[in-house]
Amino acid sequence: MLQAYWYITKMKLLTNLAYRFEVFASVGTNLILMLASVFLWQTAYKGGVGTVQSFSLQDLTTYTILSIMLGAMFVCDVQDTIYYKIREGQIVTDFYRPIPLLACYLADDIGGMLSAMANRVVPLILLASIFFGIPWPSSALSLLLFFPSCLLSYAILWLLSALVGLVAFWVMELGNMGMVKDSIVRVLSGSIVPLWFFPESVQTISKFLPFQYTYQTPLGIYIGNVGTKEALGAMAIQALWVGLLFLLLMAGWKRTKKKTLIQGG
Amino acid sequence: MLASFKHYVSVASCFAKLAVQRQLEYPLFLVSWLLMIPIQYFSGIWMLKIIVDRFQPLNGWDFPELTFLYGLGLISHGILVVFFINTWHIDNMVINGGFDRLLLRPMNVFFQLVASYVNFIGLIDCIPGIVIFLYGCHIVGFDWSLANIGKLLLVLLGGVLIRAALFIALGTIAFWTKRNASMVGFALSMLERATMYPLSMYPYILQAIFTFLIPIGFISFYPAAEFLGKSNGVLELPLSFALWTPTIGIVCFLLAHWVFRMGMKKYESAGS
Repeated sequence: MLQAYWYITKMKLLTNLAYRFEVFASVGTNLILMLASVFLWQTAYKGGVGTVQSFSLQDLTTYTILSIMLGAMFVCDVQDTIYYKIREGQIVTDFYRPIPLLACYLADDIGGMLSAMANRVVPLILLASIFFGIPWPSSALSLLLFFPSCLLSYAILWLLSALVGLVAFWVMELGNMGMVKDSIVRVLSGSIVPLWFFPESVQTISKFLPFQYTYQTPLGIYIGNVGTKEALGAMAIQALWVGLLFLLLMAGWKRTKKKTLIQGG
Repeated sequence: MLASFKHYVSVASCFAKLAVQRQLEYPLFLVSWLLMIPIQYFSGIWMLKIIVDRFQPLNGWDFPELTFLYGLGLISHGILVVFFINTWHIDNMVINGGFDRLLLRPMNVFFQLVASYVNFIGLIDCIPGIVIFLYGCHIVGFDWSLANIGKLLLVLLGGVLIRAALFIALGTIAFWTKRNASMVGFALSMLERATMYPLSMYPYILQAIFTFLIPIGFISFYPAAEFLGKSNGVLELPLSFALWTPTIGIVCFLLAHWVFRMGMKKYESAGS
């Protein structure tokens, strides 16, 4: 059973590793974003501003580098996959498969994530270390907590992405709703500017949304902004969101099968 | 001469009509852009406000001035997206053979490439651009004198030409390599960071590159610094940037056009 998924993952991994030029440009784009953001923080800290709200420049540099890294790594193509397959009618043949469809798409994205780790994250981390020094975690413990928190983050992001993909079953022409969601996530997840700097009211609302638990939580753990206890608490909330979104997805998925309309041939 | 000019105009307007109709075919597609683009750019300027509020003005650029710069950069991006978006897809046309069609028609290939797709949706990029720019003008107390309006138009023209030249040159790579799609994303993020944020934030080497090698500093940063009466940090030039920007724009555009023609000589159809 698992072999089937591993095969999908492996194929995706190999396909992605074959496209060198794409990788080169993607690393370049991420590098620009990283350099520009770090220079922005350096300018903000110019002239001997020590710490702002207990953050040093080093904290935010590490935060930014890691945030770009996670962004390059968290591959959530499922929204586009579903949309594309429905539009082209290929969803039919996918339904023939003897294994759950969503799990296939997840296996596919995990393959994408593994290849991204190899050919995007590694060069980015090397380049970041050359420009700004190695972005160390604040302690061994925070590094240890960082990894499970990242996994939970990815689960939240993936489930959100799949939920947006489901909408395609109803509207056929989804357009770029996935990108709309992405741009909301980018801001409210604290992936560009940590939410700790946002106005209080926005911070309060954001506590009840899933977004800040995707980037800010693991990154906050990594730079040691949250203590161990709080970190575990935050991870519990992450897990809660994963559960909630999973139930939502399952409920939606059941209905889609009835709604499926096959276009063309 | 006049007849051929008329002919070109009529073809361009026909292309434009078709392009707009094509894009209105999928309303939800339009809605998704209408949501995404404003979210993206309004949140961008909001991020700047948050940083300036919590920290300090960025290298002497306070929030009103940053808004002015951000808006100016965004408007010229918006105009580019309306008129020159086809230059982003040259590699696609090369691969699927669409470019052959342009070559077969008895018209200037470059004209066809640019005119065949007026991106109606690109107007959506202009909305946040204009809103942010006007707001920026309001809070910096921009003087709407005739001279300033004239300067502004010249700067926008030059800015669009510089951007277009860059994308044409990048697109031309596809004539040799057949692939360059991700270069567009690369150039876009470079342009965004260099034109909508103060260039003086970056190390001198990058400022020099964006001034002399790839002159995108002229799109918005240098003109904005002049409009606001600020020092741009490094570059002192005689005469107004309202003259420099369009001049550099035209030179770049002609250069890019030349590169495009060179590339076309190298062009071989991707077959089938």
